[in-house]
Amino acid sequence: MNSPTHQRPGPLLRCLILLALFLGLAAPASAFPIFARKYQTSCVTCHTVYPKLNAMGEAFRLNGYRLPKETEDLIKQKPVSLGSEAYKRVWPDAVWPNELPGNAPLAVNVKMANVYTSSTDASGSKTVVHNDFQFPQEVNLFAAGTLGEHMSFMAELTHAENSDGSSGTEIEHARLGFESLLGPEHAFNIRMGKFAPNLYAGFQEMWLMTDNGLDSMFNYNPVGFRGGIGMLDDAAGVVSLPARVRGIEVYGVLNHRFFYTFGAMSKIAPGANAPVTGTDALNSTGSPNGNFNNSTHKDVYVRFDYKFGGMGLDGDTEGVTLPPENWRENSFRVGVLALKGNATGVDFLAADANGPVIDPVDGENPYHQQDTSYIRTGLFLSWTLSDLNVFGVYLNGKDTLELRSADNLTLVSTNDRTYKAYFVQADYVLAPPFHISARYERLTPGDTTVQPLKVVNLNFTYLAAANIKFMLEYNKADQSGVGTNKSLNTVIRAAF
Amino acid sequence: MSKTILLTTLGLGAALCAQAGDLHGKVNCKGVRDSANAVVYVAAVPGKTFAPPAAHAKMDQKNLVFIPHVMPVLVGTTVDYLNSDAVLHNVFSPDACCDKFNLGTWPQGQSKSYTFKKECVATLLCKVHPEMEGFVVACPTPYYAVTKADGSFSIPNVPDGSYTVKVWHPKLKATQKTVAVAGATQAAFEIAK
Repeated sequence: MNSPTHQRPGPLLRCLILLALFLGLAAPASAFPIFARKYQTSCVTCHTVYPKLNAMGEAFRLNGYRLPKETEDLIKQKPVSLGSEAYKRVWPDAVWPNELPGNAPLAVNVKMANVYTSSTDASGSKTVVHNDFQFPQEVNLFAAGTLGEHMSFMAELTHAENSDGSSGTEIEHARLGFESLLGPEHAFNIRMGKFAPNLYAGFQEMWLMTDNGLDSMFNYNPVGFRGGIGMLDDAAGVVSLPARVRGIEVYGVLNHRFFYTFGAMSKIAPGANAPVTGTDALNSTGSPNGNFNNSTHKDVYVRFDYKFGGMGLDGDTEGVTLPPENWRENSFRVGVLALKGNATGVDFLAADANGPVIDPVDGENPYHQQDTSYIRTGLFLSWTLSDLNVFGVYLNGKDTLELRSADNLTLVSTNDRTYKAYFVQADYVLAPPFHISARYERLTPGDTTVQPLKVVNLNFTYLAAANIKFMLEYNKADQSGVGTNKSLNTVIRAAF
Repeated sequence: MSKTILLTTLGLGAALCAQAGDLHGKVNCKGVRDSANAVVYVAAVPGKTFAPPAAHAKMDQKNLVFIPHVMPVLVGTTVDYLNSDAVLHNVFSPDACCDKFNLGTWPQGQSKSYTFKKECVATLLCKVHPEMEGFVVACPTPYYAVTKADGSFSIPNVPDGSYTVKVWHPKLKATQKTVAVAGATQAAFEIAK
């Protein structure tokens, strides 16, 4: 085989990678004042600092947005009856009765950020942005609640404005839940729609107290000539762990402390979904088709957790002594997770750290690549000791990468590439209004010629009120041979 | 002689007054918004039967609501269902103890009737408006009351004696206990899901 060559010098690609390091964008908000209104209770009943959930909040979420052992008198907004309870005895001679939330179950989150960034590429060239007023950076409209005894819903519409003033709107979540369908309460539940799967319970960005998300988990692109080299822009979606899925998921809590979930989702498709061949394929992958693939194939995932100590995962407190401060407990939660899928038919142009890799047979145009099989396995740990919560994930990924000719007609080679990623985060409650967080992430890409990415994230949050917070967050992402990005953001978030 | 007669009369009068009293108290309803609408009733008075009243009881359908929401009656009572709304209403029950009756639909100003011939807790529904819900509790004795929002109730003129007193609520588990009535008597109950 002729040796591959490269089409362009590395610095441009390095710049793009560097930019992508930054674009592990802010974690979407997930605080629902809807429930504060429904139960006439403060946000801190369920959140340490929103959107991070305390033990009660996690139980509320897993219970399908219901309080543990919820009774009618806890619900201050009387629901609208769509039929008397007695109609259950009349069915099927009448429609099964249900309820609607008493008030429109809507909430708004507004985020504003003053952004300071400094990016240095491998050649030492530096770009600095001082005080970029991103007012607003993001506005989210939420709808969430229950529909009777066994159904729930959640939807999120996000409008984001970029630093250059361009903007975009996305349906981030839209799902229905069906709770306690079989067996004991909380044992068997189904969710379907577009949602953050329970595969990521405890570390999905929407439940982190930090503004920056976990790039090492969710934004890594494993497709590359020798394996993945780094991040992709979050908006493009990635073939590592998709932050949200279009899928159907079963989950449950058994015996208060054992959690399970398994699900199937549409294949993710960050590249082109309609590969082209022949002359059309030269330096082109054809038309992109969004973040999800409409093929028959479905990716599958599974996770099992056990929680020792503290409140049960369904909110059970029998035999447990809990401190009066609702963010405190002594507990340890351990989980194992796995995801398997393939991105066959999702077409990429092969590249490495120096740029597109030219097919020597063609002489001018790059190879094509497809990720024909991938598997992710991981371990989740979360330890809470009074005011301190230390948690993290270790993730191992394997991708079978198919290298194809420049005209996409010939299979050149197939190689298995592995990558590893982990993060450790410590959140500490100094006092109820004051919180700090420190996180370290490390990603070892599949391309062993590329250095690991290391990220440090430090956060100080002042909870001015239960629904208003100020954050000062420092982030440094460093990948030797690619560059270093630093940011210092001042963020204000309000939920109402 | 007149003093003897007077004393005897007073004694007899006192004895007669002491043979019945108000049974009153509170029902604590746990897990619901308030303690209203629980029916407290004496299950049976040994050796006594009670003729149903000639006067009909009345339940209205007004502003898409059954009024009253809960109505105890003596077994054998006829209940008139009035439609006070400008829309058609229907009354039916899915309960076997009242033969799953269905009175059809009728317009504003008209009423239809049903007689509760057996002891029964009847859920009343309207096919036109599925969210409407009312209850008739046909009790074996005329000694019954419906609790107020604070759970208080008062059943007047219950004869002295030991009785099973039952408590029923539309959403909570029924309960019962033996109460010894001797003049004005207090009893407390607690019901939950």
